[in-house]
Amino acid sequence: MAIRKFAVLGALALAGVSLFGLSAKAEDVKLTLWSLDKDIQPAPNLVKEFNDQHNGITIEYRLIQFDDVVTEAMRAYATGQAPDIIAVDNPEHALFSSRGAFLDLTDMIKNSKVIKPENYFPGPLKSVEWDGKYFGVPKATNTIALYYNKDMFKAKGLDPNKPPQTWDELVEDARKLTDPAKNVYGLAFSAKANEEGTFQFLPWAQMGGGSYEHINADGAVKALEVWKTIIDEKLASPDTLTRGQWDSTGTFNSGNAAMAISGPWELDRMTKEAKFDWGVTLLPVPKEGAERSSAMGDFNWAVFSTSKHPAEAFKALEYFASQDDKMFKNFGQLPARSDISIPETGQPLKDAALKVFLEQLKYAKPRGPHPQWPKISKAIQDAIQAALTGQMSPKDALDQAADKIKAVLG
Amino acid sequence: MRRILSSVRDGRGFDIVLVAFPLGFLFLMAGLPLIYNVVMSFQEVDMFSLGTFSRPWVGFKNYVDLFAQPETLPILYNTAIFVVGSIAGQFLIGFGLALFFWVNFPGASWLRGLFLVSWVMPGLVVGAIWNWILSGDFGVLNFILKDSGIISGNIFWRSDPHYSLYAVIIANIWLGTSFNMILLSVGLSGIPGDLYEAAELDGATAWQRFWTITLPMMRSTIGAIIALGLIFTLQQFDLFAAITSGGPNNSSNVTQYWAWDLSFRQYDFAKGATISVIMIVFVMFASVVYVRSTRHEVRG
Repeated sequence: MAIRKFAVLGALALAGVSLFGLSAKAEDVKLTLWSLDKDIQPAPNLVKEFNDQHNGITIEYRLIQFDDVVTEAMRAYATGQAPDIIAVDNPEHALFSSRGAFLDLTDMIKNSKVIKPENYFPGPLKSVEWDGKYFGVPKATNTIALYYNKDMFKAKGLDPNKPPQTWDELVEDARKLTDPAKNVYGLAFSAKANEEGTFQFLPWAQMGGGSYEHINADGAVKALEVWKTIIDEKLASPDTLTRGQWDSTGTFNSGNAAMAISGPWELDRMTKEAKFDWGVTLLPVPKEGAERSSAMGDFNWAVFSTSKHPAEAFKALEYFASQDDKMFKNFGQLPARSDISIPETGQPLKDAALKVFLEQLKYAKPRGPHPQWPKISKAIQDAIQAALTGQMSPKDALDQAADKIKAVLG
Repeated sequence: MRRILSSVRDGRGFDIVLVAFPLGFLFLMAGLPLIYNVVMSFQEVDMFSLGTFSRPWVGFKNYVDLFAQPETLPILYNTAIFVVGSIAGQFLIGFGLALFFWVNFPGASWLRGLFLVSWVMPGLVVGAIWNWILSGDFGVLNFILKDSGIISGNIFWRSDPHYSLYAVIIANIWLGTSFNMILLSVGLSGIPGDLYEAAELDGATAWQRFWTITLPMMRSTIGAIIALGLIFTLQQFDLFAAITSGGPNNSSNVTQYWAWDLSFRQYDFAKGATISVIMIVFVMFASVVYVRSTRHEVRG
């Protein structure tokens, strides 16, 4: 089976190479680009447009699966077969930068007319930084906010234009909205033991004055206590512990949860599936007027330090950045840019949601950056799960996580 | 020269070639990766040193670190429960079904074949289906249990630390039962019918016939099936990935899933290899049992 797969892959690769060989002129510089984007997502389309310009550079595209991005890239780098350009998930960026696997783009960015650091949201920009230098360019960005079902708010006597703004209000509203007889939970979110759990919890910890370096700050402990209240009182399904964000929000769409914490990637499905009036609001804060925070997701572009054509690779990145303004319209993704105003889509619910997400993005903070991020994240996930299953108190769980993280940070 | 040639064609040399070929094959395909894995468990390995052999040698540090982690013993304990629970369930239900179909009612062989469907299905698909069945709020299993009055509130199979491991065991029993049944059926049909006739003439009851004829005659088959079961359950990874991801809070984590998690989610390849080495010891033990139990088989 494996052999046949390789044979097919080999044949495809050969066909690809020969096609490129025919279309590209002899003196064309050839670049390779790896990304997880499928054909309806940005990367392959940008590559196609770029190649159609015939400016002496041809990019060969390769699709890699989400789970394989880091392992494939590492293996290729270790054996000297790394691509020129890669799209990498933002918390993993520092892993490569810190080991010199990515090219330092600081000087190129300084001289660039297209890519200007001041045009980017601070969160995404920080994720490509290491040691004060730029090792990549943000590709797109996303964050999380609170979706809520306005019809259910009305039915339970809550004001649909006054979604919860603080943690206390969130819990209070969730209590009112939870209706076991109708199979309705007040809230849907994800505390799964993978990166999604960290992604959802870290903003709460940060709003409480914590951070991954101080995960046991008082505010962070308070945040985990709020989560525990929500789970213990069954204001959210106990399956929150094992369910990802996409499946959790699915229960919101089907009317089995009155509120959901998730990101803009839900918008397209929700406009189609949700048969009720819904809205989006900023993530509730600990107290009125407290510091806001949010998670920051999505991928970054980077050039491998082994690339033989760094200047041409950067040219490609400049082209990609120049197309950022069409990203939401064509692919439904948010550019990581604060200088671009995204045009309306014509769907009122989606446009209103977009405004909230753009506001929320201003407070988005990257995870890390730290080369050992997966281990830090694992410590946080373990703490969340230990506390929510009742095996440790939130304080003890986060103290233990803090110790583990301290060992990683050195 | 000619002596050697003729010996290769027909004699001791031929035997040696016959033995050397599979041995060489085994060494290349199984031995080398195994040795590589053991070597890795004594080194410090991360993503960037994955491509080279010259990695810092750390001796038993990985083993010491591993056993200093608080989750190690619970995970080993989970693995033991998972293996024992799965094998017991698969074997007992499989044996029951095999005896049932042995009665040979009309359509028995046809139905028996249908049972194999569960064995043919890919683990990830089975996992996804059980994921729905076991789901807490809208799962079919909870619906059935509640409607028949066995439970009053929903059981959160996947998310309650008291049930999560058993959720995977239930799915794994379903997956492996048919394989047990087929192998046991083969064993049953190998027992000569005249033994039973003779015993019946002597006045042995059905129960006595089962204990004194069926079970002793099946000894090698049962040994083989339990050894194979041990190997298969220790390989079971897909169900964990699809149903609980080892959670919540490692309550359903087992060594094979943990090894993968350490290697490919936290990029600590040395620790992943260390766990694999510990597992190899257990699988070796199972292999010895398997080889010994099939040694007495009569080949025609």
